[in-house]
Amino acid sequence: MPKISLKKVDIIVSLLVIPICLYVFYESARWPVIADTGNAAWVPRGDAVCLMAAAVLLFVKALRGRSLTIPSRLAGTDRSRVLWIAVLTGAYTLTVEYLGFIATGVPYMFGFAFVLGERRWVRLVLFAVGVPIATYILFRTALHVPLPQGWFI
Amino acid sequence: MVDLNLLYHGFGTVLSGYNLIALVLGSFFGIIIGAIPGLTATMGIALLIPFTFGMTPITGIVMLLGIYTGAIYGGGIASILINTPGTPAAAASCFDGYPMAKKGLAGKAIGIATISSGIGGTFTALCLAFFAPILANFALRFSAPEYFALATFGLSVTITLSGRSPVKGVISGLLGLLIAMIGLDPIGGFQRFTFGWTEMSGGISFVPMLIGLFALSEGFHQVEVILSAPRISAKLNNILPTFQDIKSCIPAYLRACPIGLIVGITPAIGADTAAFLSYAETKRASKHPETFGTGEPAGVAAAQCGENASTGGDVLPMITLGIPGDACTAVLMGALTIHNLQPGPMLFQNHADTVHQIFAGMISANIVFVILGLIFARFFAKVINIDRKFLVPLIFIACMVGSYAINNVLFDLITCVIFGMIGYIMVRFDFPVAPMVLAQILGSMMESNFRRSLSMSQGDFLIFFTRPITVIILALAVFTTVVSVRRQNQALKQEAEQLAKLGI
Repeated sequence: MPKISLKKVDIIVSLLVIPICLYVFYESARWPVIADTGNAAWVPRGDAVCLMAAAVLLFVKALRGRSLTIPSRLAGTDRSRVLWIAVLTGAYTLTVEYLGFIATGVPYMFGFAFVLGERRWVRLVLFAVGVPIATYILFRTALHVPLPQGWFI
Repeated sequence: MVDLNLLYHGFGTVLSGYNLIALVLGSFFGIIIGAIPGLTATMGIALLIPFTFGMTPITGIVMLLGIYTGAIYGGGIASILINTPGTPAAAASCFDGYPMAKKGLAGKAIGIATISSGIGGTFTALCLAFFAPILANFALRFSAPEYFALATFGLSVTITLSGRSPVKGVISGLLGLLIAMIGLDPIGGFQRFTFGWTEMSGGISFVPMLIGLFALSEGFHQVEVILSAPRISAKLNNILPTFQDIKSCIPAYLRACPIGLIVGITPAIGADTAAFLSYAETKRASKHPETFGTGEPAGVAAAQCGENASTGGDVLPMITLGIPGDACTAVLMGALTIHNLQPGPMLFQNHADTVHQIFAGMISANIVFVILGLIFARFFAKVINIDRKFLVPLIFIACMVGSYAINNVLFDLITCVIFGMIGYIMVRFDFPVAPMVLAQILGSMMESNFRRSLSMSQGDFLIFFTRPITVIILALAVFTTVVSVRRQNQALKQEAEQLAKLGI
């Protein structure tokens, strides 16, 4: 597999970091100054200056073609799975407090194992139902740690 | 000096009732996590922190110490059986462990690895109990400028943790420092970078961020590269090594124990470096270096002993100064903080009994994993076969539960998921995550002590250059930065030359 350069990524990161640094200057200008304790903005601004310098350095290195290459460990990987899992995880995160831990956990575990390629239906269902229930019982009763209740459980 | 009476009572506490059960369970899960390739000790601790919420501080902490020491040891099991290190630290154990397994000596290799890890770990835990009170006592002289210098030194270490690109490590660290500034100003009490969100006024919760960056991001990586479970063909017989086997490894222990301890204390290098150095030094000093790499028991002993001997050294600066040297101790520090134990010299003053219980827990954990490792060796070998299609969802659900359970707020869960995705993207594009976490921990310490120092000197910056300890620590920070950058640049030049030779 040919090595892939990180040039584009490095350029994008540099361009994303610079506005963050500028925002630090913008917001810190509005902070109050307290006598004899140093300006509250010094440390954030110092950090922003160093960050901007590092971003510019990364940008220049990328433009001069000195970016590193992506390690070969990424050969044969499947990014679509990551996207599906990210979508599932996002949906789970946004609904868990409304629907409850078990009500969201069952479809989440089912979808997760399905996306990873599990097609043995009995195992899949047992896993999807068993894990959220077992986790709920373990945390609620044995460890006394509350979990989201929601409209269901 | 270590208070032997408190240490004795510490053993009494750790080895009784729930604490002992927690220690055994922690070690057991730690070995499992270590044995499964792709799961690291750092991830294991981050994942299992939530299980300690309902426990007393010492019960929770001994459980985490069990996970830590157990996972570092457990990595060697996969190295020996499938030639794939369970944790990055166990890579050196492949050199002689796997050839021993191919010769039909897998049981003997695992037995030697277990005893050797126990010897290294116990040695370093005893050293921790001896040296930590001395260092903490010295650190009591420190004031705000010294703490500022220490935090700066810790941040300079982030350069060393930068992997292949120092610039990317610096960017990661500086972004972590900015994240640490979100929330209330430590002196003035006004809101900074919160965008008006009340959830952010207390700052970004450290543990959800930690779980996201270390556990969830690794989970995403596992989703991407999900592999079928490896098959183990080796039979495990004669696991308990003979006295002669152990006697032949004593020279390796004599070298690996101090190497591991010193490497552990040195910031930013940990168990992996300790294992490689111990292995290399044992091979160099051997009368038959040619046997190394072909299944030499002393090679396995040196690597495993050095690896576990670094654990106490890693914990030393964290518990005495509040400066974590690597990602694993950063996570441990987070766990201590959750249980209202702020690492640093004052911990030794205010919670001397708890500190000695931690020492006792660390020593006991190294003995417990040896017992478990020898009894359940065949079970741990089978764990390597676990189906990733079921393991990875379990990691995700544990991350979700853990981040939510800290404060029972959805914002923490969202924080965990966002940082999980950020961590995955960072690792994928060669940005190290450890500097971001270390900077988040050290950021508030650095900033508040910087401001307190200026308050002490009424705004005079010379306070940082007129106090001998501050000057020495700041000079060390500059030295570490320069040496790290030069070393990494040399490594990159060598890599470029090799690529040029290959015509890539």
